[in-house]
Amino acid sequence: MIEDFVTVYQAEIMRRIRSRPYIIGLLVGVIAISLLTKLPTMIEGAFGGARAILLVGDPALLARAKPLLAGDYKIAGTLASTTIDDATLKHYHASSAVELQARAGGLHVTVYSHDPGEVHRDTLSQALLPLQLQLATHRSAGDVTKLTAIPVTIVTVASKFASAGQASAARGVAYTLLFFLYLLIIINSQLVMSSVAEEKTSRIAELLIASVNPTALLTGKIIASATLGFLQLGVWIAAAVYLGGGSGSTAGGSGQETSGLLSLSNALDVITPGLVVAFLLFFIIGFLQLSTLFAGAASLINRTEDLGSIALPLIMPIVFAFIIAIAALGSPDAPLAVVCSYLPLVAPFVMFARMAVSNVPLWQVALSIGINLVALYLIAVLAGKIYRVGMLLYGRAPSLRQVWSVIRS
Amino acid sequence: MLEVDHVRKEFGSVRAVSDVHFDIEDATTFGLLGPNGAGKTTTMRMILGILVPDGGRVTWNGAAIHDKSRRHFGYLPEERGIYGKMKVREQIAYFGKLHGLREPDLSKRIDRWIEQLGLAVYQDRPCAELSKGNQQKVQVACAAVHAPQLLVLDEPFSGLDPVNAAMLLSVLNELRNNGTTLILSSHQMWQVEDLASRFCIIAGGANRADGTLSALRSAWPTRVVRVSPPSDAVRARLESIAGAQPLARVEDAIDYRVPATTDFAALLRALVDVAPVTKFEAIEPSLQEIYLRAIGESAA
Repeated sequence: MIEDFVTVYQAEIMRRIRSRPYIIGLLVGVIAISLLTKLPTMIEGAFGGARAILLVGDPALLARAKPLLAGDYKIAGTLASTTIDDATLKHYHASSAVELQARAGGLHVTVYSHDPGEVHRDTLSQALLPLQLQLATHRSAGDVTKLTAIPVTIVTVASKFASAGQASAARGVAYTLLFFLYLLIIINSQLVMSSVAEEKTSRIAELLIASVNPTALLTGKIIASATLGFLQLGVWIAAAVYLGGGSGSTAGGSGQETSGLLSLSNALDVITPGLVVAFLLFFIIGFLQLSTLFAGAASLINRTEDLGSIALPLIMPIVFAFIIAIAALGSPDAPLAVVCSYLPLVAPFVMFARMAVSNVPLWQVALSIGINLVALYLIAVLAGKIYRVGMLLYGRAPSLRQVWSVIRS
Repeated sequence: MLEVDHVRKEFGSVRAVSDVHFDIEDATTFGLLGPNGAGKTTTMRMILGILVPDGGRVTWNGAAIHDKSRRHFGYLPEERGIYGKMKVREQIAYFGKLHGLREPDLSKRIDRWIEQLGLAVYQDRPCAELSKGNQQKVQVACAAVHAPQLLVLDEPFSGLDPVNAAMLLSVLNELRNNGTTLILSSHQMWQVEDLASRFCIIAGGANRADGTLSALRSAWPTRVVRVSPPSDAVRARLESIAGAQPLARVEDAIDYRVPATTDFAALLRALVDVAPVTKFEAIEPSLQEIYLRAIGESAA
C-alpha cells in the first residue's frame, strides 16, 4: 500500500510539475507576490506617500517648519499668503493647506481641508512642537504646558460633508460598500466561470450549444449570477443595517486614524440615492466585464484543475483595483486615482470610491461610464468568440496563437 | 427536407470538410459513414448550426439553419455529457424546456420517455449515480424528448450492451415512424445497414460514395458466387469466367469473386450441367465492404 502511495505520489509530482497550468500558476504567483509586496510602496508613492499639504505663511517661518513636517506630510508647495479654496488645493495636488502664524501666544495653525479629518491636530502639534519651543526661547517667559498646546483651527474647504463625523461616516460607508462590491464581483464572476467549466469538462457543452444559441447560454448564466449577486447584496445590506453599521475604519495612507464603529445614522446620512445608483451601476459594469472574461477563459479549459491557473491572471486587476480604490478613499483627486477611474475592470472600484468621498465632476463620471461600457462591449465580443469556439475544443489546451486566430476570425 | 450543399469548413490551416453534399427526405434514416477524422462530426455540427460553413450551405425545408429551426432538432453527440448532480427527471425537463416544451405537455413527454427507457426507478436520482448505460438512456431522452423533426446521432450505439443497443434501435425506428428524420453515424455497420435507407460515405472531408444501399451495390463491380457442394467441375467452370478470383475456402462451398456483369442465371444452368449443385448464391456486397472499398480508394 505504501509502495502504491509512493508510486502515485511521484508520478503525480512529475505530471503536475511539467504541466502548463502548474508552470503558469507558478510564474503568475511569483509575479503576484512581487507586485503585492511592492504595491503598497508604489501606491504610497503614486498618491504622494504621506498626505500632500500646502504650507501657507511667512516664508521664514515656513522654512523652519518644513523640515519638521516633512516626516509626516509631503509638502506640495508653499505660499506666502492667499485665499485657500478648492482650486488652490487642486492646483498643488494637496488635500489640505496648513497656515502657520507666529502670534504672541505662540504658534497658531489653521488647516484648510476638503476633509475635516484629513490632517489631525495631534500629528501637527507633535510635528511642530520644536518650532513652538524655538519661538518660545525668543520670548521672556512662558508656561511650557501652555506652549505645547498649539491651537489648531480646522476650516473645511468645499467639502462634500458638513461635519467631521459625516466625513468619517462617508469613508466607513465607502469602505464597506467597496468591500461588498469586491466580494460580489469576485464571487459571482467565479460562479459563472465554474459553471462554464463544469459544462465544458462534463462534455455537456456540445449538447447545450446544439440546443441553444451560445450567446443566450452565456448571457443566461451571467445574468443569473448577477441576480444571485443582488440577492447576496440584499442579505449583506440587511445584515449591516441590522447590526447597526459595518466596520468604519478609514483605510488609506499614513497619518490617518480609525474612526471607530460607523454610526448608522451617519451612514444613512451619507448613503444618497446617487451613491446607491453609482454602486449598482458599477457593480453591473464590473461584474459583466469580469464574468464575461471568466466565461471566455473557462471555455478553453479541459479539466477543472486548470481553473485556478486561468483565473489568477484575471483576478489580479481586480485586486489591484481594490487596493487603488482603498487608497483613493484618502486621496480621491490624486492623479493615479483619477487615471484609474477610467480604466476598464479597475474603474468600477476606483470611480465608486472617489464618488463616495468627494465631489467628482459629472463629466469624469460620464467619461468613465462611457469608456467602461465600450470596454464591456469589446470584452463581450472577444469573450463570446472564444466561448463559442472554446466550448467545442477538446484535447490539448489551445495555444495562445490558436486563441488569437479565433479572436481574429 | 435537409440539403447539404457542397459544404466546406476550415479551422486555421486544417481543412476539416472540403466538399460534402447530400440531401435527406423527411422521416427517413440517413447513415453518415467515414473513418475517424473524415469530417463526420464537423458536418453534423454544420447541419445543427453549431458551426457555420465556410463554403456551401445547409438548408432545412429550403431555408438556412437558424435558431428557430434548431429548436426542432435533436442531437446526441459522440462525446456524451451530463450534469452529474442534476436528477434524471430534471435533466430531461431542462433539455425539453431548452427546446421549447412547456407544462403540462413537458411532464407527459418526460413520463413517456422515462417509461419507455426503463428509467422510472432512477428518475429522482442524480445522474452521476446511474450506470453508464442508464446515463446514455438519459442522454437519448434529452435529445429526443421534444420529438425533433431532425435527430442527429453521432455513434449512438457506442458503449451500449446488446440489450440496450436493441432497445435504442427500436426507439429510433419508432421516432422515424412518427416522422423524425434521423442522421446517424456509427462504426457498427450492421446497425446502420438495418436502420438507414440512404448512406453517404465520406473520407478526407469529401464524399466518396452515396445513395441507397441498392444503388451502392449496383455500382459495385463484383459479386461473390457461393456454390455447394464443392467439386473440381464447379471450380473449373467458375475459373472459366473472365476476371474470376477464388476466395478463401469455405466449408462445404466454393466462393469466387466474379464481375457484377456476369449472367448468373446462365451460370447456374451451366453449373447444373457439369455437376450436382445444392446451393447457389450470388452474394451482393455488404455495407461494410462498400465502406472499406470507398475508404480504401480515398486513401490510395
